[in-house]
Amino acid sequence: MPEEQKEKTGHQKTGAGKRLSNIMLNDYMQLHQKAGNGAFVVWIAIVVPAELFSGFENVVYAVPESHAAMSAGKGVGPLQCEKAEGKGFSPDLCSYARIDLGTAFDGGKDSPTFGLPKPHLLVSDNNNCSLLVKWFDVYHREWGTPHFILDVPFCYESQKEQDLDYILLQFRDLIHTIETMSGQRFDPERFREAVQYSAEAMMHWKRFLKTAAHRPSGLTVFDSFVQMAPFLTSRGTKALTDHYRLLADETQECVAQGIFPVPNEKYRLLWDNIAPWHQLNKMSTRLAALNANIIAASYTYCMGSLEGEFDLYAYDGGDPLRYLARAQNFSVCPHGLELRYRSMQKAIESIGIDGVVFASNRSCKVYSIMQMDLLKRVTEKLDVPAVMIDVDHADARKYTEENAFLRIEALLELIDIKRNHSRAGFA
Amino acid sequence: MKDAETINERLELVDANHKIRSLKENSAKVIGCFPLYPPLELFHSLGLAPVVLWGFKDSVKAVDSANRHIQGYACSVARHLVEFVLSDRDQVMDGLFMYNACDTLRNLPEILHCGLGETGRSLRIFKMHIPMAPEQQTRTSGYFSSRMLALINEIEQAFDVAFSLDKFRHSVALYRESRSLCKELESQVARGAMSYARYSRIIREGCFTAVEQHIELMKDVLKEKTPLPDESVSESGPAVIVSGILPPPFTLIDALENAGLRIAGNDIAAQRRSYAFTPDVVDDPCLYYQDFYLHHFPCPTLLFSGDKRIATIKNLVTATGAKGFVFIGEKFCENEYFEIPYLEKVLKESGIATLSLEISIDDDENSEGFFTRIEAFAELLKN
Repeated sequence: MPEEQKEKTGHQKTGAGKRLSNIMLNDYMQLHQKAGNGAFVVWIAIVVPAELFSGFENVVYAVPESHAAMSAGKGVGPLQCEKAEGKGFSPDLCSYARIDLGTAFDGGKDSPTFGLPKPHLLVSDNNNCSLLVKWFDVYHREWGTPHFILDVPFCYESQKEQDLDYILLQFRDLIHTIETMSGQRFDPERFREAVQYSAEAMMHWKRFLKTAAHRPSGLTVFDSFVQMAPFLTSRGTKALTDHYRLLADETQECVAQGIFPVPNEKYRLLWDNIAPWHQLNKMSTRLAALNANIIAASYTYCMGSLEGEFDLYAYDGGDPLRYLARAQNFSVCPHGLELRYRSMQKAIESIGIDGVVFASNRSCKVYSIMQMDLLKRVTEKLDVPAVMIDVDHADARKYTEENAFLRIEALLELIDIKRNHSRAGFA
Repeated sequence: MKDAETINERLELVDANHKIRSLKENSAKVIGCFPLYPPLELFHSLGLAPVVLWGFKDSVKAVDSANRHIQGYACSVARHLVEFVLSDRDQVMDGLFMYNACDTLRNLPEILHCGLGETGRSLRIFKMHIPMAPEQQTRTSGYFSSRMLALINEIEQAFDVAFSLDKFRHSVALYRESRSLCKELESQVARGAMSYARYSRIIREGCFTAVEQHIELMKDVLKEKTPLPDESVSESGPAVIVSGILPPPFTLIDALENAGLRIAGNDIAAQRRSYAFTPDVVDDPCLYYQDFYLHHFPCPTLLFSGDKRIATIKNLVTATGAKGFVFIGEKFCENEYFEIPYLEKVLKESGIATLSLEISIDDDENSEGFFTRIEAFAELLKN
């Protein structure tokens, strides 16, 4: 490789990467400050459409799952889990929940964000997982905080009109609940503006993800995992739109300049499950040394898409509430096997995937229990090699690096064998 | 009336497949339902024989087929259920019905479809979303009715049957009678007139037999003059409530009763939670089932019932005079496990002792550790 080109290769921290830290710092500082100054605080499940809260003058929201992911990334996941287990919560429960319960019941101690301000309202949503309702019920009982349950039907097929109407009904009830509890009026124009910002942000997000189609890929999945964070804490803001525009622009620019995170990329992989937050650096470094790059994940490409799709679901400027209700199933967990397979097939074909890593995640049954059949279908129907590894997305105590890499290396061998067969002219 | 020996023989026979096959022999179309609170009356009124696919621990001994489709960290309920359906080579069931309950079960329809497809089989699977938003938060009646009518329509078309209000009323009456008899049996256990083990076998029988037969069985049992001689029930022992998604395995039931504990009531999903309530409305299946779910005995799988659960359990404890609460945790059942720390706390604050036992798929064979804890708990309550 020419010396000049060598200098441009390797993982580069882009402007968007540096800016991410500032956004997150700012989001959590603002959350605490506004809560301290009397804002109405809502805790939400990760898929609750937070743009709704932008329709109010002084409502702020916190996302316990996002905070738990950050805690796991900062290495305090097991510590907080142990606190929850000490309070009687089973170690088999979701590690996000255990981190959050451990943090909350210890007053935010050991949290990278000093915990979260206490909520006036809890809003759970069972379409990602029903356990979230049970998790928020714990606070509802312990603190007496009202709990609004968004009940969203699971999708075995594309969303039905009746289901959409049911979701809309609940969105309206949620707005009314916040109006009543906070004494603030909902402003539809502020809300519409927030939806436009989010929709535009998703357009740039998809632009960013599509740099993976380049060979070598313009990104690693680990970049996209960490860049998801502001989507959860800054939804419906101009800051989010600007950030994702910058992220996409810079990544495209790197591709144009020949700067790639894994320049000698030989294996292009897809990840199926939540990010292993405690392993991002370790895993990406070790994979890069094998010239392997996980370039996409169902966890990240679902953002901005409808169930079973891979491409952007654009906002047409119509009823913003209806747009959010239609997009309510965007995340993977509310999708049946058929829909997951359909979007995965599109991802595999459109960005060129050599193999799939199914991360069987004992902390997320809803994501994981169906992977065995999905794996079979991907390998048999699409002829794409795949393996299953054991992970826990936030509890590092339940992950063994060597076991995982033994299987990942076997996957790379399978890909080589398939290539050799192909070169030798075997069907 | 059958004699006690015949009844006992029937209760000991735990091969669910065999029991369901005998339903089929009566030329009924069998619909397997999960989880525990399906619209049984509706299916019955449409000429189907509904069976509840729950509690296969005794009739499914290995889960080899299930292990090829779901990971080992799924609960035993899901693994047994998948095994039962996939190993049903003769296709004793004509269809399956499931509604939303937990994160594991909602994935099962497509897993079963894949598993059956591997051997060239298929089974019609009917799915229904039961609204989980609390009624005081969102008016769910319109949505619920649309889902219920869609289900009726699907069943009518699939099985070439027609809904009849008269038949529905008749079916409701049967299930009302069945639930009433279940309560009567439970009260016998509470009084120490029947062992909890025997009661559990009788209730389990209802999952896999026709409601008419189950009613007959329960009536026969209730006509028995005296408890059977082999029953070791304490009439005066400390009263406890047992709670969980599944009844305790029989080895544990025996341990509880042998330790002198009297099961004064239960909060078991497959027992009291299933039969505690029957609506009064019978002229409209949509209204009937709205009432059925909204006023159902609280269960962690019915998300809207969360607020009522603690008060209901405290009432149950008070009404039965229970001194202890035994939670039989099904390993990996997240819906149950989130509630336990708080439940234990409020019970302890009320002076009720609690014992938490966790059962996993093969714990019938590893019960010794439980026995010691149960005996210690019984001693605690006696002192």
